Amino acid sequence: MSEKQDSKTPHSALPTPHSDGFEPLIIGFLCNWCSYAGADLAGVSRLQYPPNVRVVRVMCSARVSPIYILKALTGGLDGVLVGGCHPGECHYMKGNYYARRRMLLAKQLIEHVGIEPERLHLEWISASEGPKFAETIQNFTEEIKKLGPNPLRKR
Amino acid sequence: MMAEKNYGGGVINTLAATLLKNTMVEGVLAYTEGLDRADLVPCFITKPEEAEKISTASYYPYSLSRLLRDYGEEGKKIGLVVRSCDARGAIELIKRNQFKREDLFLIGIECYGTVKSSKAGNQKEEFRITAEGMEAGGKKVEMSEENLSPNCQRCEYPVPFMADLSLKIEAHATQVFACTEKGEKLAKLAGIDFEKGAPKTPKREKALERQKEEFEKLRKMSPEQRLDYWFRQFDKCIKCYGCKDACPVCYCKDCYLGSNRLMVKGGEIPPDKMFHLIRLFHIADSCLNCGQCEAACPAEIPISLLYHALYHDLSALFHYESGVHEDEIPPLGMITEEELTKGGVDLA
Repeated sequence: MSEKQDSKTPHSALPTPHSDGFEPLIIGFLCNWCSYAGADLAGVSRLQYPPNVRVVRVMCSARVSPIYILKALTGGLDGVLVGGCHPGECHYMKGNYYARRRMLLAKQLIEHVGIEPERLHLEWISASEGPKFAETIQNFTEEIKKLGPNPLRKR
Repeated sequence: MMAEKNYGGGVINTLAATLLKNTMVEGVLAYTEGLDRADLVPCFITKPEEAEKISTASYYPYSLSRLLRDYGEEGKKIGLVVRSCDARGAIELIKRNQFKREDLFLIGIECYGTVKSSKAGNQKEEFRITAEGMEAGGKKVEMSEENLSPNCQRCEYPVPFMADLSLKIEAHATQVFACTEKGEKLAKLAGIDFEKGAPKTPKREKALERQKEEFEKLRKMSPEQRLDYWFRQFDKCIKCYGCKDACPVCYCKDCYLGSNRLMVKGGEIPPDKMFHLIRLFHIADSCLNCGQCEAACPAEIPISLLYHALYHDLSALFHYESGVHEDEIPPLGMITEEELTKGGVDLA
């Protein structure tokens, strides 16, 4: 790890603001086998969705530890999306069940610390659900816009 | 300056001595008097004669289950004189494969609260807190519950029913309950009368009310207020690692919070907020509310409140009680049969 690592999000990474001014920056942890493929399908199908999400491909939604979610939120990101396979369809059999439990714990944790639990969203998106992916991003971005910027951006 | 000898009829001392005489254990971890009556320190007793010095006064003790980490070895049998929080700590370590249940002999004592020695007032006489009230030197004294350690005020498990024996110690007598077969065997060997089966006590009402009160205060704050409150508290942190060292559940030799180990930069005071959040995540579902973290913190951060509040909600969500049954796997390590058939992003 670089010694000079800065935990704050550089301003240049944010999308160009529209008339209302606040453009959320969302990180999406998508599982390789289902959600990422679904996102890919959305792209290939030329579906339009807001450009606010930055995708990180993980092999399984179970790979996403609440620590990454906390790091994202304390670093100033406005929202965290975790995408996995539908229950019963996990490539690694039971990964998404563990992920579900973890995300529930993470939601409670961030709520107790004082971050809105709506900033974390878990969604099951399969590889064939391109439109669902676009819809998820659309809805989540709107919700984050309503919540406003992450108060930790300033700290 | 020794503890009033044979308080409660000397039952604890007899039991510990019996364990050692019959070499059922290599040693007994217990509390004893340090500088004075009010200074309880841990000791490791290896000779039956030394069992006399065990003290069970209601002063705020160091957590014995934290010490277990240093004394535990493969197959080494250890006896412990534990309060409910220590017993639950030992069970949590057993769940994490740090010990085997057969290697630990838990002699539990009922505990209705402890006080920091500075708040106990008259230290010439031994101070005890019982279900009925507070007493010094065998006589009742007036003292407010507010003097109890904050975590003790919220503690709902006065009776260590998860231990091998549970003792109700009063001025001149001790009631012994044998919660397991091992406990029965020991009581018979020591020639002490006992009742079979753990005492069936409901959770402490006062504690549950206190929990409600304190957690409600946190819940009522708006997210901004709560965030501000906790982050201001975290700003006081000097990264002494006291909380992590004192916690019975934090057993990792190579801690994730170590400097420059991925998430927390070295040499930064106060540390990045991730320091606290990482520990919060690691302990979340297993917090015992033993209060050692808060006691250890030199900056007086009310950290035990945050951990207990989170644990309280997770306990309800996952139907899990930490430290009570050694077969109950922590929530993040298991999936129930029911869940396997459930779709959707929520458990309920």
